[in-house]
Amino acid sequence: MYWLIRADLKKGYNEIFGKFSLTDKTENLEALMKLSLNGDQRAYAVVLQETARLLRPFLARRLNSVSEVDDLLQEILISIHKARHTYDGERPYKPWAYAIAKFRLQDHLRAHYADHLHHAVELSEVENDLQVPVTKSDFTYESISGEIEKLPPKQAAILQMMHQEGYTAKEVAEKIGMKESAVKVAAHRAYKILRKILER
Amino acid sequence: MANIDELVESLARDAAPVKPAPHPLMLSLGWVAGAAAYLVVSLWLSGLRPDLMQKLHEPWFVAELASLALIFIATSLSAAVLAFPDLHQMRKAALAPAGLFALFVVILFFAWRADVPPAPLPMHSFECTASIALFSLLPAVWTFLAMRRFASTHYRWAGSVALLSAFSVGALWLLLHELNDSIIHVIQWHYLPMLGISLAGWWLGKRLLKW
Repeated sequence: MYWLIRADLKKGYNEIFGKFSLTDKTENLEALMKLSLNGDQRAYAVVLQETARLLRPFLARRLNSVSEVDDLLQEILISIHKARHTYDGERPYKPWAYAIAKFRLQDHLRAHYADHLHHAVELSEVENDLQVPVTKSDFTYESISGEIEKLPPKQAAILQMMHQEGYTAKEVAEKIGMKESAVKVAAHRAYKILRKILER
Repeated sequence: MANIDELVESLARDAAPVKPAPHPLMLSLGWVAGAAAYLVVSLWLSGLRPDLMQKLHEPWFVAELASLALIFIATSLSAAVLAFPDLHQMRKAALAPAGLFALFVVILFFAWRADVPPAPLPMHSFECTASIALFSLLPAVWTFLAMRRFASTHYRWAGSVALLSAFSVGALWLLLHELNDSIIHVIQWHYLPMLGISLAGWWLGKRLLKW
């Protein structure tokens, strides 16, 4: 039954859009949406397919991964479905659909950055750690080199350059093509891991 | 991509006929008519200020009354427009209250300048704000319930404008009911609280209009 409906919708899509050029397709979204509001499932499937086609590049330019684009696109299509009674078929369709897409994108980005902030490391905390005189500690780089090697390769390389070869965070950043703050954060995370291991 | 196709098919299967939302002009007309009826009934029950006919001959009072009524109409239209995701492609209508508020401030300034010698301050103070807020409760609930049926993408702004609209009905009621000539009192306890109300609406919009 499901495949029959699927085939039927696809046929409807081809029947309806086969007749139109690409420009026509977007121009006729208003008419198709009007049919959808009257319960025409084929027209509605076409509108949603076209909307997804229009929105995908819009989202891809603003998000990093394809899976993120797919997830958000699904969320937007569901929002369009929920809000379809706010469209009357009389005004242009695209501004209406883009308004919903932007709204969901902003929500998504807000949640994304809030999550990032939640897991972020306070830079001042990092600075404090970096000011600790590591050379005067009970441990030397050589004495804990075994533990350092167990760290993720990037963190290990940063510690080696800073504490064995004597580079500053800025110099390390230039050498490995990272931002200075990113080097400091990576070093801070490495210190945390080492501290935990050595405290055992 | 397969997921999108499956989702499209499942949404299309759910697509029962839906009645499109009314045009924002019709929507706001309904709200204005409802609020006007509420105002008339309330004034009939609570009574008009005894010197109203005389006050209607004072230009600054009439200007204040007219601009407040216009603010109410403009905020109603703006709230209706803001209930739609794309503002019904009537962005100027959504922004209309801003110009009217500016006009209202100018009118209040001239009314204050014309208040020479200043009319005595009434004995009461915050009671006016509380009365307006209580009076505005019903239109506020009504407007928010109506807006929740739509899909605002500017929910904070929409909440703010909806509360201002309800509060302006309350302010109109008190202007026509209370025997008070002090423009200082009116500014301080009738109109300045509108700033707080708009902030409350900003907060409430996020709680009640987010979808």
